[in-house]
Amino acid sequence: MDFLTIAMPKGRIFEEALELLAAAGYQLPEEMEDSRKLIVEVPEEKLRFILAKPMDVPVYVEHGVADLGVAGKDVLLEQQRSVMELVDLKISYCYMATAGLPDTKMNDVAPRVATKYPSIATSFYKEKGEQVEIIELNGSIELAPMIGLADRIVDIVSTGRTLKENGLVEYEKIVDITSRLIANPVSYRIKQQRIREMAKRLREAVEAEVE
Amino acid sequence: MSIIQPFEKPLGMRDTLPKLYTHHQTLRTRAMSYITKNGYEFIQTPSLEYFETIGKISALDEAALFKLVDNQGEMLVLRPDLTTPIARVAAAKLLKEKNPLRLAYNSTVFRAQQREGGRPAEFEQLGLELLGDTSALADSEILRLAAGLLRELGLEDFTITIGHAGLINQALETLIPSAEEQQRVREFLVEKNFVSIDRWAADYKQSNPFYAFFQEAIGGTSLKDLLQAFPELATDETKQFVSVIETIETLPELKNVFQVDPLVVSHMHYYTGMVFEVYGAGSGFPLGNGGRYDDLLKQFGTEVGATGFSIRIDHLLEILPTSTEPVTRRLLYTTQSMYAKALDLAAEYKQQGEFVTIQLKQAVQDTESFEKNFDQVTDLTEGEL
Repeated sequence: MDFLTIAMPKGRIFEEALELLAAAGYQLPEEMEDSRKLIVEVPEEKLRFILAKPMDVPVYVEHGVADLGVAGKDVLLEQQRSVMELVDLKISYCYMATAGLPDTKMNDVAPRVATKYPSIATSFYKEKGEQVEIIELNGSIELAPMIGLADRIVDIVSTGRTLKENGLVEYEKIVDITSRLIANPVSYRIKQQRIREMAKRLREAVEAEVE
Repeated sequence: MSIIQPFEKPLGMRDTLPKLYTHHQTLRTRAMSYITKNGYEFIQTPSLEYFETIGKISALDEAALFKLVDNQGEMLVLRPDLTTPIARVAAAKLLKEKNPLRLAYNSTVFRAQQREGGRPAEFEQLGLELLGDTSALADSEILRLAAGLLRELGLEDFTITIGHAGLINQALETLIPSAEEQQRVREFLVEKNFVSIDRWAADYKQSNPFYAFFQEAIGGTSLKDLLQAFPELATDETKQFVSVIETIETLPELKNVFQVDPLVVSHMHYYTGMVFEVYGAGSGFPLGNGGRYDDLLKQFGTEVGATGFSIRIDHLLEILPTSTEPVTRRLLYTTQSMYAKALDLAAEYKQQGEFVTIQLKQAVQDTESFEKNFDQVTDLTEGEL
């Protein structure tokens, strides 16, 4: 039997996903996350984990070098890659929202929006019928309104603490975000039995967790 | 726009270098011989077509079309698929002479790419179309030849997933009351986004027969059991689907390589009957797809059934074992005065099946590195000087 290769983001999502896999009855060793290893194999279960940057998980899966992956809906929405979304793992819940300085209006002439998610931001404002200029940043998005680079930011919010501490307020909620089990469409067919079984077991584990 | 470097090609365009070309040619020859032996005739359609006809009918996203304007001011497209142009020729001419009509093609198609590498904008498709036959046997012939062709080309580990546009449409239309919801769920299926379907169902207050159907299908319930559980789905069309599956179950070409999945929905909206996708182990992308598209011919004013498939040669080449024929590449060094002798000698080697390069030795600057490209070297210049 071939290995199933699963791309995972490092850190908290990886830990939470491993807990779910354990709850779904997969036998995984205790100490999985060695900070330097990029590939971890679990021969007993014929599983191989690739540890990647969250934004890269759908790339590995789309190209089929990973059969499965765990990716946040934010990343999936931003990248629009052709992967299958199999199970909502309901972990690392947060949401995408617009935020800015309190009691401010968007500039009428050329409103500017800073974000790490240019395509989500573009389609959100397009649907609202507002023409905005998107400024892509790679982190610390909260800075942009504070120093006058942008009127609004589009970013993920989990507790709202970062916004608060920087004197920003949330304006509109765009979409809920959770992590999803994604699959390469070819792997889903070629290794259908194992992937369907994993999806089923994970779905049951998620339901048990929620209850 | 950055400055274009001399070595660059437009986004998505590729060179086919000699080694790949040879590999490609071997594959092409074998495929063409298999297809012709099965009674299909090859045709070629032009690279440029009108946007108004082929461009619009071909069912591809407009952003994927390469458009240009001819000297009459007409909008043209580089052909984005072959099924549509073939439907055009068949409806206009060929079907009047022969019906049913079996055609094959092996040409490149052009689809503009938005994103990074790994996605060619020009790629070769090899395919078959069987026009003028609406029977289940025509569908199974197409499936049989798709599997037979892949086996002929040496592919072992592949899977054909078969669905049916009529069946899924019937399921959406009879099991979901509102047309708007039907459309939403159809899009989720095209995107293969099962999470969105779960979420859509979770919002649903009343009982949800489509979700029950979806769960049965995803759990691998057989087509027969599905149709028994959902008798409202048994139409003439879906009965034809059952008969296609029953036929192919008996065919050796399709043994152990196909699966039925009613949730297969193609993004190409012209499919009306069975639809299928071909997947090969080792390639992250589907190798090909096909199905029945009876409505397409209507757009060209002819009402006949049509079914077919196409294979992506580039994806296939990636995973096929390289079967290079054992051939000796010989280098024959010559001088000006020895040229006649070299030609005679070359003829002898060629007779033995070798590939012979005749080269004036003094024109080669780095003989050592040049000779690395050959298996054998014969030097007629030795002892000459």
